[in-house]
Amino acid sequence: MNKTIIININSIVFHIEEDAYETLRSYMIDIKKHFGNTAESKEILEDIENRIAEMFNERIQSGRKEVINLEDVQEVIARMGSVSDFEQSEDASDDIHEGQATNTVKPDNLGRKLMRDPDDKILGGVCSGLAHYFGMEPKWLRVLVVLFVLIGGSGFLVYIILWIVMPVAETRADKMAMRGEVPNLQNFKKSFDEEVRSFSSEFAGAGEHIGRGARTAGNALGGCLGAIGKMIAWLMLIFTGLNILGLFIFYVFNLMNLFGLENPILFPPLAVLALDDAIIALTFGFLAMTIPFLALFLWLIRVLFKTDKVNNYLSLTMFAAWIVSVVAVIYYCIYASQDFREKSTINVQKNITTQKVYHFSEKDVRILDASEKDSLRSKFNIKIDGQDLRNYLHNSIGITFESLDSLAQPYIQYNYSAKGKTYQLAAERAKGIGYEAVQEGQKILFPSHFLLQKNTLDRDQYVGVTVYLPRGAKVVLERNIERKLRDVPCWECLKNYADHDHQKYTEWTMSSTGLVCAQAEPEKDDDDEEEQVTVKKSSKEEEESSSQRDSVITIDGSNVTIEVKDKNVKIQEKKSKK
Amino acid sequence: MIAENTQTQMRKGILEYCILSIISRGEIYASDIIAELKKAQLLVVEGTLYPLLTRLKNNGLLSYNWQESTSGPPRKYYEITREGQDVLAKLDITWRELLFAVQTSLEGRN
Repeated sequence: MNKTIIININSIVFHIEEDAYETLRSYMIDIKKHFGNTAESKEILEDIENRIAEMFNERIQSGRKEVINLEDVQEVIARMGSVSDFEQSEDASDDIHEGQATNTVKPDNLGRKLMRDPDDKILGGVCSGLAHYFGMEPKWLRVLVVLFVLIGGSGFLVYIILWIVMPVAETRADKMAMRGEVPNLQNFKKSFDEEVRSFSSEFAGAGEHIGRGARTAGNALGGCLGAIGKMIAWLMLIFTGLNILGLFIFYVFNLMNLFGLENPILFPPLAVLALDDAIIALTFGFLAMTIPFLALFLWLIRVLFKTDKVNNYLSLTMFAAWIVSVVAVIYYCIYASQDFREKSTINVQKNITTQKVYHFSEKDVRILDASEKDSLRSKFNIKIDGQDLRNYLHNSIGITFESLDSLAQPYIQYNYSAKGKTYQLAAERAKGIGYEAVQEGQKILFPSHFLLQKNTLDRDQYVGVTVYLPRGAKVVLERNIERKLRDVPCWECLKNYADHDHQKYTEWTMSSTGLVCAQAEPEKDDDDEEEQVTVKKSSKEEEESSSQRDSVITIDGSNVTIEVKDKNVKIQEKKSKK
Repeated sequence: MIAENTQTQMRKGILEYCILSIISRGEIYASDIIAELKKAQLLVVEGTLYPLLTRLKNNGLLSYNWQESTSGPPRKYYEITREGQDVLAKLDITWRELLFAVQTSLEGRN
């Protein structure tokens, strides 16, 4: 039992067995290759096909059978003559000059010519040209080029250089040279028009032999590169797939965040946009990032699994969507940065009551219930009056300390700053920041966060707090406030405490150059503690101390203070005001 | 090798002359030309004839027309043109000259 195929030669239909068809087909391809692609050869081929059809027809007409089998085809080919028969009859017509010319051309053809292939190109046909040269499939070279473009873009540069350097194979002869197919065809094409002259076929034979050797070497190299290419393609496929997955997860979770389903995957820059804008910008950003990976992914699938090319409309749509997304992302970046152009700062000064010891601490406004203090839930689920506050809570707060004259009124200065498209807008935003320390008993508490009014965007809102204290003031800083402190060497001071892991606060003294750690080197721990106590006992108004080691005489307005290092000797004089 | 080459070349030159002669006798079908040439042992396979016919036709020495066939596809019937007859006349002269030359050479050898 044999499978038959229906073929059509010159509009006559034949049933032909499969193996017979294959033989006939390869015979016709050989002939076609041999005769080349000119108008003349087309006619010759037509004649030959016609004759084959006639011979087939004779066999069927004779009533012996209905199906052409391998035997028939072989007989027909025998009568028609094989390509080598054609060559033999044509060799004779090649002249001596032709022989020499072929001889000089041949060394070039041993390795193929490196040219760009215009028939099989994606950009410039560089890869397919290289592939012809090495005798491998172009897709593996394309994978390599794409890989090197991804790794720092070097592939791009190499590609451009090759594009410039490699000539394009325009003519048929060029393409033949590129594929290393030259000898048979060129000889044939000239055969018709040449007079009868002798030809040294030894040359042709030798040349052909060497050519074949070179080609085998090229194929081996090509095969090796192909295997590496395939492996890289697989790795890239996995990498690209994971990337797409990651981007998708990132997108979905951020979207959930924007819609109020809180989760820890946050993309902070989104906060600079209003909710509606943020959703659009996030979507465009996602597309702009994902589409190139998606395209690469699809292409790798195509290369690796030899699937069909992605439909043109789809790839065009993808490309258009990508361009739009990139433009949109750029737009949003510019749009958002516009709103950061002007900066406005509002200064507010608040007096604080004079104390012997100024005790500063932090008040974590997020914790509504002390029992929830350490639970993650309380940090991500902050609702006041049913309103989600997390997006409006900010903690860009910086606290610095400055010294004042020893008897001046201590105060705290708040610098509220924000940015905006115009100065007015920035000032309005700065005004909207509500942040102030609160006095609670002896302590001055700085809230951990400040609140923005609803629908206020994040525009670099910042609260700079400067605490002005008179020189000599004693200061206690609780450790929870350390994160907000600027230019205060907390850690160095903390080291002076014996049990610094469990120490909850640090003690300081205000000097003319700022806060100085009041805790001496570790050995003196207990003494210092007592000293603090004695100092605290002296009267508020007249308290004056210096961190300096030497005795000090201070004449300050109505006060004259002479202080000696020895704490037991202290002379103070106060003139009454006039 | 050289002998073989010379043989092919000799045959090739004569082959065109013979084809023209055969066709000059009247309209003829390619297969019949081949049959004649095979009889004369000038040609072994059919395939090689077609390029020659096409070349002669393109040079204006031959023309053809299609004729229906009872037993298959339409056939190309070749015919000699005026130009072809002129060329043939010249080749006839050349052939006689060659014949004389060869005969003279052969006589001298014997």
